[in-house]
Amino acid sequence: MERLERLAERLRSVDPVMPSPGAKIRGWNLVLAAVEQSATVRSRSHPVRRLVLAAVSAGVLLVAGAVAASADSLPDSALYSLKGVVENVRGALAFSPSDKVAFHLDLARTRLTEAEAMIARHRLDLADRALSSLDDQLNDAALLVQSEKQSDPALGASLENRLVQAIATHDQQLAGLQGQVTNPAAIAAIAQARDRAAQAIQTASKPAPSGGGGKPSASPAGNGKGNGTSATPHPTPKH
Amino acid sequence: MQPLGKAASDDDRPLIERVRRGDQDAARILYERYFDRIYNYVYARLGRAEDAEDLAIDTMTRSLTRLDLFQDQGVAFSSWVYRIAHNATIDHYRRQGKATLVPLESATMPVSADPSELAVEQLSNEDLRQALRTLTDEQQQVLILRFFQDLTAAQAARIMGKSVGAVQALQHRALGSLERVLHGRTNN
Repeated sequence: MERLERLAERLRSVDPVMPSPGAKIRGWNLVLAAVEQSATVRSRSHPVRRLVLAAVSAGVLLVAGAVAASADSLPDSALYSLKGVVENVRGALAFSPSDKVAFHLDLARTRLTEAEAMIARHRLDLADRALSSLDDQLNDAALLVQSEKQSDPALGASLENRLVQAIATHDQQLAGLQGQVTNPAAIAAIAQARDRAAQAIQTASKPAPSGGGGKPSASPAGNGKGNGTSATPHPTPKH
Repeated sequence: MQPLGKAASDDDRPLIERVRRGDQDAARILYERYFDRIYNYVYARLGRAEDAEDLAIDTMTRSLTRLDLFQDQGVAFSSWVYRIAHNATIDHYRRQGKATLVPLESATMPVSADPSELAVEQLSNEDLRQALRTLTDEQQQVLILRFFQDLTAAQAARIMGKSVGAVQALQHRALGSLERVLHGRTNN
């Protein structure tokens, strides 16, 4: 026991290692830039959110206005189901493989933003759905890439590169988010989303199954019943 | 490095509110308050100044730009910052594929007059840091928080999400493990 106390005392006497003054200044410059950017984003987003909420509560939002406003709506918003309708229309208008992949990647980015917002609001159920939908979109994009690599290898490779870059960006964002949350359920959901995103890269790199069965549903938005895996192909309405 | 007492955590609250309103001076005060401490924490884990710099900057950036996630979590800001630093360290290990352990082979361990007794007073700081990095993740964390960061068992418990009793038991086991590591080196 005395030995351990002596060891503890010795550990207490270890001099702290300090950063160099240059590192500290460099760190502050980077942190300051991030704080400034964060403040700018906040000041931009608050008026939009206030405007949307005011319009909904007043009940005077016209259909065209509602459609536009729904683009920024979140899963806990009344306008969120409308966002799904708009996304389905957008998906139906994407014809080329390149447009379809871009569409899925755009939706994946939207779902990630929604998941972040839901975690911040402690709505883990909605965050979990958004993360699941994010992975579905990435998987649908991966299946499109896989199929395209067979019919047009050059275009397929280009699309695969876009997919890999998008997933790398998402993973970085998810890793940052994972480092900031403390709820074990949220951490697990984010870890699972990262794993599934990594699987999408593997899917895209594999050759498509013979017989052309590798294509996801005809509509890029997916119907969740085709070879695409979108169980939640569009935003989930508020319950 | 200033000790992190309860008062420091309480003082953080008005600063956090000011940072939320975009006050850069408040952000600077919090940065000055925690950067050295977090750098020291990460350095103790990784043993590389470059990595410690990067992760300390990353931790402070996340801490000061994602205060929306800190809200209502029921923990002190200091605990939250340490948790972010810890998660960043774990993430760093994962990206590297394995823990970046510094080998002990190069360490020169002093020998006590009594062979069964470890001459801890004669160990260099770097020897101790290197030996500490061979312990488990939790053992490293508790020893760094308690002895390098000079936190109380209660503060360490809040950061680690454990009870005070569990932290004390973990600390005891960690010291035992560290002693065995150091002893093993002197006998080789």
